[in-house]
Amino acid sequence: MASVFRTCPRTGLKIEKNAETLIKWNSTIAIVLLAVGGLFALLVVLTRWPAVHLLPADLYYRFLTLHGIDALLAWIIFFEMALVYFTSAVLLGARAVCPKVSWLAFILMLVGGVLINVIVLLGKADVMFTSYVPLKADPLYYLGVILFAVGALIGFIMFFVNIAMAKKEKAFEGSLPLGSFGLLAASIIGVLTLVHGAVIMIPTFLWSAGIIQNVDPSFYRLVFWALGHSSQQINVCAMVAIWYMTAYFTVGAVPLNERVSRTGFVLYILFINVASEHHLLVDPALSTWHKIVNTSYVMHLAVLASMIHAFSVPASFEVALRKQGYRNGLFEWLKKAPWGNPAFSAISISIVLFGFLGGITGVVFGTEQFSLIRHNTIAIPGHFHATVVAGTTVAFMGFTYILIPLIFRRELILKGIASIQPYVYGLGVAMFSIGMMAAGTFGVPRRHYDITFAGADFSFSFDPVVDSFLTIMGIGGVLAAAGGVIYIVVALGSIFGGKKIE
Amino acid sequence: MAENKDKMEAPGVFVLALVFLAVFILVWVVHLKWLSNLWTIK
Repeated sequence: MASVFRTCPRTGLKIEKNAETLIKWNSTIAIVLLAVGGLFALLVVLTRWPAVHLLPADLYYRFLTLHGIDALLAWIIFFEMALVYFTSAVLLGARAVCPKVSWLAFILMLVGGVLINVIVLLGKADVMFTSYVPLKADPLYYLGVILFAVGALIGFIMFFVNIAMAKKEKAFEGSLPLGSFGLLAASIIGVLTLVHGAVIMIPTFLWSAGIIQNVDPSFYRLVFWALGHSSQQINVCAMVAIWYMTAYFTVGAVPLNERVSRTGFVLYILFINVASEHHLLVDPALSTWHKIVNTSYVMHLAVLASMIHAFSVPASFEVALRKQGYRNGLFEWLKKAPWGNPAFSAISISIVLFGFLGGITGVVFGTEQFSLIRHNTIAIPGHFHATVVAGTTVAFMGFTYILIPLIFRRELILKGIASIQPYVYGLGVAMFSIGMMAAGTFGVPRRHYDITFAGADFSFSFDPVVDSFLTIMGIGGVLAAAGGVIYIVVALGSIFGGKKIE
Repeated sequence: MAENKDKMEAPGVFVLALVFLAVFILVWVVHLKWLSNLWTIK
C-alpha cells in the first residue's frame, strides 16, 4: 500500500497518514486514561487528607491501585507510543512501517489496560501497583499486565523498525534529530525494562494460576524494580526529548551543543536502569557493597545527564530569544518569552519542578542513610509525584498543545483558560509534593488508610504539625485536579470540537 | 578589533544557575538544621 503524505504548512514537516492516525489514537486514549487515573487520584488524596478522609478502607486501596495503573502506567505509556510514531516517522519525514503491527500493539495495550481495570474494580486484585509477592491477585490481573507490556514492547520495537526503514529509504540524512535520539534512548530502556517485566510477571502469573508453587519474594522485588523504576526512566528520556522538541516548536531553539545533549541520553541508557536498585536500599537480602555501588556511584552518572539537559534547554531558549532581538540586559529574553503559550510554560514548569523538587529529593532519598529513614514514608510518593507528574505529565500536557494543531489539525478551544492550565496544575502538584515530603519527614507512612490508627490495639499519634502538611498536600491535590480537568476539557474538546485547520 | 569568539552565548541562564545554586544551598542548610533538631533523640 502506497504511503500518503501531507506537508504541514506551519512546520514544513511531511506527515504520513498511518503515522498520523496512530499518533491520534494513542494520544487520545492516553488523555482519556489520564482522566480516569486523575479521578482516582482525587478520591485517594481526599482520603489521605485527615480533615476529609473520604473513602472506606477497601475502596481506598482499590482506587490507589487503579490510580497507579492508569496514571503512572497507562496514560504515560500510551502517550509515549504517540511520541514513538511522532519521532520515528513525522520528525524524520518518514512512514510508519507495518502499521498493522503497530495497531496490534495498540490493541494489546488497550485490552490489557481494560482487563486490569475491570479485575481491580471487581475487588480481585487489591495488590497495589507493586503487587509484591506473596500478595496474590487474580491471574487475569497479571495477564492484563503482560498483555499491556507486550503491546508496549512491540510499540518500542516498531520505533527501531521505523528509523531503520527511514534510513534505508533516505528519508533523512546524517544523524537522527535530537527528539528522535531521545526516543531512541527511551525505546532502548523500554525494551530492557519490558524484558525484565516479562521475566517477573510471567512466573507470577503462573504462580497465581496455581501452575507453579512458589515465586521467591526477594527475587520478585529485585526484578520488579528493573521494571517498576526503569519504566520511569523511559518517561525521563521521553520528557527530555519533549523539552528539546517543544523548545524548537515554540521559540525555534536548537541545542547549544548537540553532542553534549546526545551524551546525556547515552548516560541515561548506560546508568539509569542499574540505579533503580535504590528501591532495595533497606532490603536485607542484598549486601551494602552492592547497594552503594548501584545507587551512589552509578546513579550520580545518570543525574549528570539530567543536569546537562537542565542547563542546555533553558540556554537554548535564551540563545533563540536573543536572536529574535531580545538582547537588552541579562533577562529581557526571559521577560519576553512566550509565557502565555501553554506548551512553552508547561516545559519551563516541567524543567524547574523536575529538577528542584523531583531530582534533588531523588538523589537525597536514593542514598542509603536517608533511605533508612524515609523509606515507605509518604515522602517517597512526594518525590516521585514531583518527577513523574510535575516533570513528565506536565511536559506531556505541554506537548499535547503542539500535537493538536499539528497532528489533529484543530485549533485549541478555550485558549485563555488553556494558557493558565500549566500554572494551575504545576502549582497544585508542587504543593502536593512538598506537603507529602514534609509529612514523610515526621514518619507518616505511605499507602496507609488511617494514620490515626483508630480502633487499633495500640495507640500512636504523630506530631500535630503533620496535619498542616497533609492539608497542604490536600489543597495542592485539589488544585492539581482542577488543572487536570482544564487540560482534559481543553485537549478532548479541541480534538473533537476544535475549529478545523486546513 | 577581532570578534571575541569566547563570548558567553547564554549569560542569563548562567546567572540564573548561580542564583538557583545559592538559594538551594540556603534552603538545604536550613532544612538540615531543622532535620537535625527533629531527629535528635531528646
